[in-house]
Amino acid sequence: MRSFVSKLLIATVVLSLLAVSLAACGATPEPQVVEKVVKETVIVEGTPEVVEKVVTEVVETEVEVEKVVTATPEPTNKIVTFAWTQEPDSMNWVYSNMWFSSILQQLFHCWAWEFDDQNLPFPRLVTEIPSMENGGLSEDGLVITMHLRDDIVWSDGTPITGEDFVFTYDMIMDPANAVASVYPYDYIASVEAPDAQTVVVTFSEPFAPWQSLLWRGVMPKHILEPVFEADGTIDEAEWNRAPTVGCGPYNFAEWESGSYMRFVKNPNYWAGEANIDEIYLQFVPDDASQTAALIAGDADLGTFPPISDVPILEAGDVKVMVQSSGYEEGWFFNFRDMASPGAKDVVVRQAIAMAIDREAINQDLLLGLTKPVETLWDPIAAAGYVSPDIEPWPYDPEAAKQMLDDAGYVDSDGDGIREDLDGNPLTLIHGTTIREIRQDNQAVTQQYLREVGIDLQILSYDSDLFFGSYSDGSPAALGEIDIMEWSDSTAFPDPDQNYWLCSELPTDENPWGYNYFGCDEQLDALFQAQITTIDSEERVAIIQEITKYMHDQVYWLGMWDDPDMWIVGPRLTNVTFSGVTPFYSIIDWDVVE
Amino acid sequence: METTGETAAIGWGEQTSTTVITWRQIVWRRFRRHKMAMFGAIMLVLLVGYCFGGALFVSEEYANHTDTSLVLQPPSREHPFGTDTVGRDIMARTIYGGQVSVLIGLSAAIIEVVAGVLIGALAGYYGGLVDGILMRFTEAMFTIPQLFLLLVMAKFFAGKIPTVELLGRTFSGSVIVIVAIIGLTSWMYLARIVRADFLSLKEREFILAAHTIGTRNLAIIGRHILPNTMAPIIVAATLGVANAILSEAYISFLGLGVQQPTATWGNMLQTASSGFHKIQNAPWFWFFPGMLIVLTVMSINFLGDGLRDALDPTTVT
Amino acid sequence: MTRYIIRRLLQAIPLLFFISVILFVLMRSSSDPVATMGGRRVMRPEDRERLSRQLGLDQPLYVQYLYWLIGNDWTAIDVDGDGVAETPGTQRGVLRGEFGKSLVVRGEQAMDIIMERVPRTLLLMIPAEFVIILFSLVVGIFSALRQYSIADNVITAVSFVGYSMPIFFIALVSMYLFAVKFKEWGLPYLPTVGMFDPQMGKTPSQVMLHMVLPIFSIAFISIAGYSRYVRSQMLETMHQDYIRTARAKGLQESAVVFLHALKNASLPLVTIIGLDIPLLLAGAVVTETIFSWPGMGLLFIEHVSRGDVPVVMGILMLISVAVVLFQLLTDVTYAWLDPRIRYE
Repeated sequence: MRSFVSKLLIATVVLSLLAVSLAACGATPEPQVVEKVVKETVIVEGTPEVVEKVVTEVVETEVEVEKVVTATPEPTNKIVTFAWTQEPDSMNWVYSNMWFSSILQQLFHCWAWEFDDQNLPFPRLVTEIPSMENGGLSEDGLVITMHLRDDIVWSDGTPITGEDFVFTYDMIMDPANAVASVYPYDYIASVEAPDAQTVVVTFSEPFAPWQSLLWRGVMPKHILEPVFEADGTIDEAEWNRAPTVGCGPYNFAEWESGSYMRFVKNPNYWAGEANIDEIYLQFVPDDASQTAALIAGDADLGTFPPISDVPILEAGDVKVMVQSSGYEEGWFFNFRDMASPGAKDVVVRQAIAMAIDREAINQDLLLGLTKPVETLWDPIAAAGYVSPDIEPWPYDPEAAKQMLDDAGYVDSDGDGIREDLDGNPLTLIHGTTIREIRQDNQAVTQQYLREVGIDLQILSYDSDLFFGSYSDGSPAALGEIDIMEWSDSTAFPDPDQNYWLCSELPTDENPWGYNYFGCDEQLDALFQAQITTIDSEERVAIIQEITKYMHDQVYWLGMWDDPDMWIVGPRLTNVTFSGVTPFYSIIDWDVVE
Repeated sequence: METTGETAAIGWGEQTSTTVITWRQIVWRRFRRHKMAMFGAIMLVLLVGYCFGGALFVSEEYANHTDTSLVLQPPSREHPFGTDTVGRDIMARTIYGGQVSVLIGLSAAIIEVVAGVLIGALAGYYGGLVDGILMRFTEAMFTIPQLFLLLVMAKFFAGKIPTVELLGRTFSGSVIVIVAIIGLTSWMYLARIVRADFLSLKEREFILAAHTIGTRNLAIIGRHILPNTMAPIIVAATLGVANAILSEAYISFLGLGVQQPTATWGNMLQTASSGFHKIQNAPWFWFFPGMLIVLTVMSINFLGDGLRDALDPTTVT
Repeated sequence: MTRYIIRRLLQAIPLLFFISVILFVLMRSSSDPVATMGGRRVMRPEDRERLSRQLGLDQPLYVQYLYWLIGNDWTAIDVDGDGVAETPGTQRGVLRGEFGKSLVVRGEQAMDIIMERVPRTLLLMIPAEFVIILFSLVVGIFSALRQYSIADNVITAVSFVGYSMPIFFIALVSMYLFAVKFKEWGLPYLPTVGMFDPQMGKTPSQVMLHMVLPIFSIAFISIAGYSRYVRSQMLETMHQDYIRTARAKGLQESAVVFLHALKNASLPLVTIIGLDIPLLLAGAVVTETIFSWPGMGLLFIEHVSRGDVPVVMGILMLISVAVVLFQLLTDVTYAWLDPRIRYE
């Protein structure tokens, strides 16, 4: 009896010690390298001795003072908290296409030119945007010459030169680096830096969208080249996870995975000094906690609130700011050979366009925060490219029914679904991802279509299956879905779009093709023309023709526009956003207490 | 343990009027005494009546009818359980959703029982290499927690099966997938029990006797040993239904279960947990499907508990 | 005993191997990690093809499994797409302790990502296990001693309701009641989601405050189930002859209960709890999703939908190993506690 009890006690004690030690492991934060206000305090590969000394000093004090600092900020320190619902996967822009990562670029990084709240470009690292007038763009459109400012420096004081641009190009194109995308750098023949302040980019063919796609970031050669030479790749560079050397108004300070990320003001920023001292990125677990944090004042900025939370937010003094970013939610119709006969018939598509009350959907499901759109080219952000001859499809179920009757689709067996001339029921398969608003939309539109006698079969998939490739058997790629719904844009702010190129049809020879929709010769010719037309007037005309044609053929039916939605707390002032580089004006933002 | 119902009294005529009761009647009597089990049984009848009988009052079309002007309305006379994010009546959806949930529960339990009994019986009866292989396989499946297996398998089968029409209703193909994967990931426990029973029963004399007169193996398994292991099988089947309903709720909640527009109690709860607004301001949205799951599973558990006690007299309650 | 342990461990190896094959095949065949790398837009074919090659995803399935298991630094891989394998691989493989590089969090080892999150899950699960053990014993014994009383009936009824509930329902109800409603009514309230409050920092008190609701939700269901089991075991033991003897000898009731009955009733409980610990890891998935606790379960959900095979396989193998080890530990503890059992 004694031995039993003692054994049980021993077991319990051992387990408790285990638990306590593990709990202790989990509870105490691991001290990281922390940036303090005054000096650059970063341990970086290849920096001079001086910097390292400063670092060690700071690290020691950091451990003691840490708790105090995070709990009670000094009165003069302006700290702002962003509520982030997704944690970035990488901080190096070439490795991540995640929106929650790339929009941070303007905080600690720099582009050659950035975009303002009208989505127009303005120079950042360059002295002026290259164009034909200033000689930056050659007559044939093949050579772009960029003149860099002479006062631009990295946060550790090293000047930013043309060498960094050449290095960036080399790294992207090097097969040893598994970068997310090499577009459009694989269209470039060469990148040279004849001197420190000049970069010459030569394309092999005229490439119209260069302004919105090139130089969305530069990599620091002095930091990453040693890494590349040592490891043979920069896939695993420290800098990708901790970009301590940057060129933006803020410096990356720390990142505790699963919890937060911190940025502090860069005192060496060559364009001036930011108003806000620290930006604290809080990773909130879900939308509900984001809303709660903003209402409680625990966070000052949030993104993409659930529609149903918007009234509560506005009641809590939180502003909802909407910024067009070129994204629209719409139905992509499949008119390939293997699509259902209904989807291939333009009459059916037009009837579908008129059978759905898109206004009601926008009003009721999206609380009027969005509007129906007619083309993939955003009517606000890309207004110039949308043909003025386009008339929106009205909600007219009677006209839709009439059209279907005239085309020979009648309900011969009385089940409420029309049949075509061969007796096949008019059934279309609709597929989308599992996001709630899309599933709701599926249910609602299914009902609208049933009222005019069209049977919509609805399916939903995980994103990686839905956007998977032909070789992975993704249903969209295989052409098994007639109507695909998701939100997409052009190469915003450029109107370039290449989904409908006939050369991109997925086949056994081209298993990676992403034209899931079909080949229309006329459309294909237009799309091919616009990408090489440098003359802007000519190009606008081509795009307008494309928009009109696609609208009439109903190759794409717009459901609602999908702008960036920001929720801004009452503490922040002077806030503006861009649809391309959201935090372009972060240096001007300020805090009122 | 089976006693036949005939009076085998030769030569006694009508002098003795012994009331011989069957084993089934014994079980029923013991079951009846178990108040909770009776309560559970009645509750289940009511719930099944709600799901299937309710369908007589409310058409499936009404359950799927969306009306975007009535989004998220609180309970009212017209909509006793309120409306959901696209204006569908929640009460009607719980009726049709209940049908799917219950059907999933039953079908998955059937698959589970068939698989478990088959594997357990073969392993226990034949022993040796067959036993070794089957048990290794069982152990492998057992080691991976069921939820993870379900998630990975749900992902594997996603979107591969199109919509089906059954009993006058159309279901998303994911229902079949869910039934199959729940059934295929919960048989292990039963297989072990059946195997243990078979191992002990196959050494008994009446089995040796059957062997002696040349009964074929399958007949011995099916007609001699199996009926004597019915008790744990019945209990496992009953509880299996409850577990299947819960499992379906879990994976639908995580987003990989039955896909819209087919409603189940589980996936109605999934949409309920997204959005501060819904948890706080629209509790009717998640409360009713949740309560129905709890009531159903609870009643089945009562029933199973009662059956276990009634079938096995040696347990003490 | 030692031989038994060694034998069990050796038997575990083919088991784990078999499991890894099944899971790897299922995972790789059902997901396309490259598909979601385009961010909000569809990936270009040139990039898709290049990335598939660079990440080793274009190899046949058995080759991918082989590389996963034993690495590829003993062979060369084709990095630049010319069809000729020229660069030596850098993976070391699972058998040498490396699960591979995550396909979602680029540049990080899967092992690092997982290990960062495991302590957080344990922080939830281990206290939960303690709470479960403690309360199951207390409630079960209380119920057994007062069999058929009102208290017993109430407890039995609540237990049944408890383990019929899906965990997220309890979580939702408790979140609604203790976090939302209490706050409305001005009572001291509990936080809803996350591991700590952003502005307050990651202090132990914050973390403990945020642990209350998740642990309550997990524990409630398990306590409901186990207390009944303890109760029935206690009742069975209490009816044994040696208990009657002890009472007849004039031993105090508390001694009877705690020294004799409990000892024998708790043995099967050890088995059940030992087997339950790895299942708690699975239950972590749902709990962490609801409460957005940044642990291993949430990691699994996030990465499964993006097809991150190294991380997902890492988590699954870790759990399988945990299950096997705990099964062994339970059997050994059982034998240690019960002198009647001997393994050879």
